[in-house]
Amino acid sequence: MIPEFDYAPYVWSCYGLFAIIVAWQIVQPMIQHRRLQAEIREERALTAGEYDDANP
Amino acid sequence: MIWKTIKVGFHRLGSPPNFYRLCQRFSPWLWGGFFLCAAVGLYQALYVVPPDYQQGDSFRILYVHVPAAWQAMAGYVVMAILAFIALVWRIRIAEIMAMMGAPIGAAFSVICLATGSIWGRPMWGTWWAWDARLTSMLVLLFIYLGIMGLYSAFEDKRKGARIACILILVGLVNIPIIHFSVEWWTTLHQGSTIRFFGESTMHYSMMPPLVWMTIAVKFLFAAALLDRSRNEILDQDRRRRWVLEHAGVNR
Amino acid sequence: MSAAMLALLVRDLRLAIRHGGQSLMPILFLFAVLILIPLGVGPGPNLLASIAPGMIWVAALLASLLALEGLFRPDLEDGSLEQWWLGHGPAGALVVVRLFSHWLITGLPVILVAPLAAQMLYLPAPALGTLMLSLLLGTPILSLVGGLAAALTLGTNRGSVLLSILVFPMVVPVLIFATGAVDLAADGLSPQAHLGLLAALLILAVTLAPVATTAALRLNIE
Repeated sequence: MIPEFDYAPYVWSCYGLFAIIVAWQIVQPMIQHRRLQAEIREERALTAGEYDDANP
Repeated sequence: MIWKTIKVGFHRLGSPPNFYRLCQRFSPWLWGGFFLCAAVGLYQALYVVPPDYQQGDSFRILYVHVPAAWQAMAGYVVMAILAFIALVWRIRIAEIMAMMGAPIGAAFSVICLATGSIWGRPMWGTWWAWDARLTSMLVLLFIYLGIMGLYSAFEDKRKGARIACILILVGLVNIPIIHFSVEWWTTLHQGSTIRFFGESTMHYSMMPPLVWMTIAVKFLFAAALLDRSRNEILDQDRRRRWVLEHAGVNR
Repeated sequence: MSAAMLALLVRDLRLAIRHGGQSLMPILFLFAVLILIPLGVGPGPNLLASIAPGMIWVAALLASLLALEGLFRPDLEDGSLEQWWLGHGPAGALVVVRLFSHWLITGLPVILVAPLAAQMLYLPAPALGTLMLSLLLGTPILSLVGGLAAALTLGTNRGSVLLSILVFPMVVPVLIFATGAVDLAADGLSPQAHLGLLAALLILAVTLAPVATTAALRLNIE
């Protein structure tokens, strides 16, 4: 377990960066999904639930 | 034949509500697969594998760097297959999935470049070397960014997706040429290329974490691709009827 | 060559001659870059001679990007681009003609002024022939790849920045082999392998790029 202290910052920063980018891949679609659902709900409320299958 | 199977399969899941539900159902399993493989892989990479006799512990960076590099390239191949399907049979789901692969592929290129650069600091003494693999990965990142930029520049998303699909296929021809030319270039300019592994091949005891991490990032790519495609189709179809029924908007 | 192809070629060249000042812009830009380089890195002949191949090629590349924005856009705006698909011949042939005339207008002049540019940066004399040969093989690739990028970004309204980003990865091999050839010739070695690879790239670009360009234009006018 990382006995040579010299390399530890490099190794951990790499794994940390990997964790951050992976977390972003999970979180970003979740946030976007929430936002989309809210937007769609709002639009439906404004247009009284009209839909338009011809012109998406 | 096989193409017909693919075509029929895509048409069947090609209806937006079907595809939407499919994404919703499979995404948690894929994420589960990722976390399982990554947990095993990371445990082995950080605790089980002994330090390398030449590079000490710094070689542990390999277990995120190499799978990310492989996935950045494999992701492009997946996108190219989807782009081909999209252009030949005009299947909307394939268009959307091809487009949504780009940001994930770009994320893997960033991981590969950043970890390569951090690894280079103790090994080469500089943050950046014009190493053939790093340079062609940088070019690949720009190709990913170009695809994303082109797609987002169009008002009409379907048109943008088709045109970006052409770019993906052009890139498929280009990437091997770029890789080869950059390799040629570094051998010409540097005398001998700096290598990560020296002359020795990897010891077999170092392999299992690499395999686990490679499988893990494949799960990650698939899961993120489904999540993003689900959002994109919801965004594009926000005014259609099925969204009301399936997207949990009323709940 | 069909009548439509010939007519397009004559029209493009006549337009270029009529707007003479505009057609000279890429050359002026090339020299502007070449004048800035000694001002930036210093006038030392040794340094300039060693970076000359790369700098001339980078300048040629940047100059070729300039005219790309107007490659298909005027035709899209006045509706004549759609006519390409309504005529008798294949539209792809007209695309090839347009790319060829673009090369005649922007690529050929660069080759012709290359000796002057080489003198300004003290390129060793034996390398001049290789420089011109590399430009002769390489500038058509720049036109073809640039034309593809112009076709891809035609439907967008902020095309020019995107266009440069799309062109850059695709011309990496051209730059490597072309400057590699000139570097070798400057050192008195044979540039044949590099020039051969550059020729192979040209053949590949000539066969594939017009197909993709035509497909992209087609999608854009749909």
